Amino acid sequence: MKKFRWLKKLRLPSLKIIFLSLIVFLVLFGALGAWYVNYLEGIVTAKFEGSKWPHPSKIYSDTALLYVGMNLRREDLSEKLRRLGYREARGQLNKGEYRFAKADTVEIYLHDFAYPMEMFKGIPIRIGFQGVAVTRMENLATGEDVFSLELEPELIAGLYDRVWQERRVVTLAQVPPLLVRAVLAIEDERFYRHRGIDPIGVLRAIWTNLRSGGVVQGGSTLTQQLMKNFFLTDERTLHRKLKEAIMALITERKYSKEEILENYLNQIYLGQRGSQGIFGVSQATEFYFAKELSQLSTGEIALMAGLIRAPGRYSPYRSVEAARQRRNVVLGKMLEEKLISRRQYDAALKEVIVRRELIKVTNDAPYYVDYLRRELAENYKQEQLTKEGLVIFTSLDLAMQRMAEKSLADGLKKLEETYPYLKKRGEDDNLEGSIIVLKPQTGEIKAMVGGREYGKSQFNRIFQSRRQPGSVFKPFVYLAALMYGGDNGKRFTPATMVDDSQFTWDYEGQSWQPANYRGEYFGTVTLQTALERSLNSATARVARDVGIRHVRDIAYRLGIQSPLPVVPSVALGAAEVTPLEVSVAFAALANGGVRTQPIAVKQVIDQEARVLEKRDIQVEKVITPQLAFLMNYMMKGVLDRGTARAARQLGFTRPAAGKTGTTNDTKDAWFVGYTPELLAVVWVGFDNGTKLGLSGAQAAVPIWTDFMKKATAGTAVTDFAAPPGVKLMDIDPLSGGRATPNCPTVIQEAFLDGEEPTGYCPLHPYGLLSAPADFINRMVAPLFGR
Amino acid sequence: MGRRIDHLLLPAAALLAALGAASCETGSIYRGIPPRSSSRERPPDYYPPPREEYPPPPQPQARAPLERPPLREEDLNEPRPSPPATPRRGDIPPASPPTSAPPTPMPAPAVPDDSSLLAKITPSTPPQRAVSLRLTEEGRKLLEAGDHSRALSRLEKTIAVDSTNPYGYYYLAKAHFALGRHQESLRFLDVAEPLFGNNPYWLAELYALRGEDYRALGSYSRAESSYSEALRFNPGNRTAADGLERIQGEGGAGPR
Repeated sequence: MKKFRWLKKLRLPSLKIIFLSLIVFLVLFGALGAWYVNYLEGIVTAKFEGSKWPHPSKIYSDTALLYVGMNLRREDLSEKLRRLGYREARGQLNKGEYRFAKADTVEIYLHDFAYPMEMFKGIPIRIGFQGVAVTRMENLATGEDVFSLELEPELIAGLYDRVWQERRVVTLAQVPPLLVRAVLAIEDERFYRHRGIDPIGVLRAIWTNLRSGGVVQGGSTLTQQLMKNFFLTDERTLHRKLKEAIMALITERKYSKEEILENYLNQIYLGQRGSQGIFGVSQATEFYFAKELSQLSTGEIALMAGLIRAPGRYSPYRSVEAARQRRNVVLGKMLEEKLISRRQYDAALKEVIVRRELIKVTNDAPYYVDYLRRELAENYKQEQLTKEGLVIFTSLDLAMQRMAEKSLADGLKKLEETYPYLKKRGEDDNLEGSIIVLKPQTGEIKAMVGGREYGKSQFNRIFQSRRQPGSVFKPFVYLAALMYGGDNGKRFTPATMVDDSQFTWDYEGQSWQPANYRGEYFGTVTLQTALERSLNSATARVARDVGIRHVRDIAYRLGIQSPLPVVPSVALGAAEVTPLEVSVAFAALANGGVRTQPIAVKQVIDQEARVLEKRDIQVEKVITPQLAFLMNYMMKGVLDRGTARAARQLGFTRPAAGKTGTTNDTKDAWFVGYTPELLAVVWVGFDNGTKLGLSGAQAAVPIWTDFMKKATAGTAVTDFAAPPGVKLMDIDPLSGGRATPNCPTVIQEAFLDGEEPTGYCPLHPYGLLSAPADFINRMVAPLFGR
Repeated sequence: MGRRIDHLLLPAAALLAALGAASCETGSIYRGIPPRSSSRERPPDYYPPPREEYPPPPQPQARAPLERPPLREEDLNEPRPSPPATPRRGDIPPASPPTSAPPTPMPAPAVPDDSSLLAKITPSTPPQRAVSLRLTEEGRKLLEAGDHSRALSRLEKTIAVDSTNPYGYYYLAKAHFALGRHQESLRFLDVAEPLFGNNPYWLAELYALRGEDYRALGSYSRAESSYSEALRFNPGNRTAADGLERIQGEGGAGPR
């Protein structure tokens, strides 16, 4: 208490209070400060000793199989190689390069690639062409013929938290010493002399910047930069600077210079490849120079060190001149610090910085990636996906995806131009559409566009939106008819005559009168004609004869999963389904009666290339190949003569089958169409159910046609192969009878063996000379009351 | 005079009949529709005019009922049809003493080995089939080496390239069998079966593998049927013969 006697002697009480307050304040401040430093120390420790860097998962497209005899256009191959990051060779062919040696030859040195279960070592190959056909493939290293090879998949997207940090972590020992010294020379030459913050360095930076008239040197140490990149934002506030300084001091106290340097060289941001950020010197070496760290030249080292200050500005992808100037500044500093000799300096100055095209990773196929996320969420937590660096191989064909996106966008825009009333009428009243593309043989989803513009609406109309399919449902009715026949034992074939007049269907105490489009009725028509013209009344009659339960069972069997009530209107597509289900169901028909499970994720591997998951192709025979062929053959008529003939008029000439769909009040327009190799479903409409006023033929068929023309260009033309037990026969479509030479129109129909019509067309009968037996039979029959 | 008129009338009647027949042959001239060319060219954009232009068609002639309805589709949910019942242990009635020595049956000739996939590639083989067969062969080798997962990956490419390649489906079934996925194996065999057509060697292989799948699933009666069917196609199929012997030797233990 003696030491505080002087306090008692203070005459003014206010001074006492102030002084006491000051002491209390200092004690509190000290305690708070200690707590804060302790808190920051905890953060630093957790970062240094825990998992430092997130490893985003990467999503890859499907591989591309090349084989002798396939059709492959040079421009398609060239574009594919460009997207895969192959560069045109300037001299000797190196890994990752290609050249068109002659007009009919291309040489490629394939990349290495880590496939699931095997590591592929790149080989040099030569591919010979004759026209668009691949005639030969040769391994240039061994001279052996190669019959097939796979081009590696394309990186389409990453799964990450906020920023996609692409990085290859290395130890300090793996970094060339010259690069380390160059970085220190240009960024923090007093690194080994300060303890985290460098007041002398700050003063020097101020002096240098004042002399040069601009900011040419920073005052932050390497440690401070590391703290900023590890934890902090880019804001330039006093608070942030203070925090950065304290953390730098803590780090220097706890960890060695080497540890700090190693972390810095792995953490530093060094560029951007579209949505992918390039972090760390190892990743940057691959990005800018397509090399390993150990292969960097002196000039490249200088450029790398120079990029740290402003990667965007000094990137050689952006400006070769700016990059060269910055490199030369760093080379000057390296010479000044005696890191290199004069000879090395002069040689480095002469190194040419090659201008290269930046192939951006743009997070392609966002709707498809969303669909993948949902699938992956079944087995993986979010943190696993965004931080553990999984590699996900998918079924996506990126070229097809881009074609589908463009076809949909262009098609919708054209519809709005042709029908101005469709233009946007409000935030929630925008014309929308979707496309899904499937490979029927395997179920692989090759493209998925869930809406017009992902940025405006992430709602995925392929699997999240249930809409009435309308007439797209009718093939299920006809298939049920072919398979089960009528309840009264009646057999149906594509030539069976059905009545298309108005009628009332009484069902469980209720009445339903199906109406034809525009109120037009066509009397008695063949089953084929009813399908081609999409006649509601005839279809409903068939459904009544067959039984709606059979129709529903067929739909389920083919792959429809949405609940289908057992009511008559289901026959005309009144129950809501997703485009994904529709694609699976029709893919079963395209695949000869074999239903496949839709596949997007094919394999998932971890960072050690261990296979975590493999999803196999799943098949199930659901109808006979003969019935599938009959349906495909009938639906070919829809394109050739029926409601989708606009596809032919727009230039799609390949053998294909399909069905248009238009709902009541024209709220939905559909088209599902397929070749033996590829199927696509298109939907157009408004999300809020506003009337579209257009049929499937008007709205969806043009979009489908535009896509399919591009997607099948250059590929071999294939047709549906008739299985055993099927017979093709010429039929008069007006009578359903076997065609005679007098029939003005003849179409070929498919029948199950033994079910083809036996009688000739009664409308255009044979004469005496061409079919005497038939002629006499017709003459004589009435005499005997036949 | 009467005879002269008869002489004139007969040719006239014949001429009239011929003219009538000819009018049917050359087209309906009174309808104004031109005769059809012999090449039967169909206009690509033809679409039948509205029905009102044509007279109502006659009632369709009743077709003679078929003696036996054609098989529309296999009822996939029903058990597969079993071959005619063979006597099983426990079911066999006491045999009567033979009156004379039964004749020694002639051994059925084995079907020639058709297993080589690469031998099926000829200069006329379509490129898709050729590469599909080569990939199938690669898959087969991986299977033999015990690398089932890689075999599966390779074999899936075979049907992606050529979905009509039955060997791809068969070996996919075999890969799934090796991985213990018997239901998947059976499904791939279902798809492969019609694609093999009438090839006895491969149908025997298919049925034998089906038998193996059923035996692994504990469906011994189905396994027995499948093995028997395999031997019917190819009496030399060892897998089927061994499988059948095993089942019959075990007395068909387990669910039938």
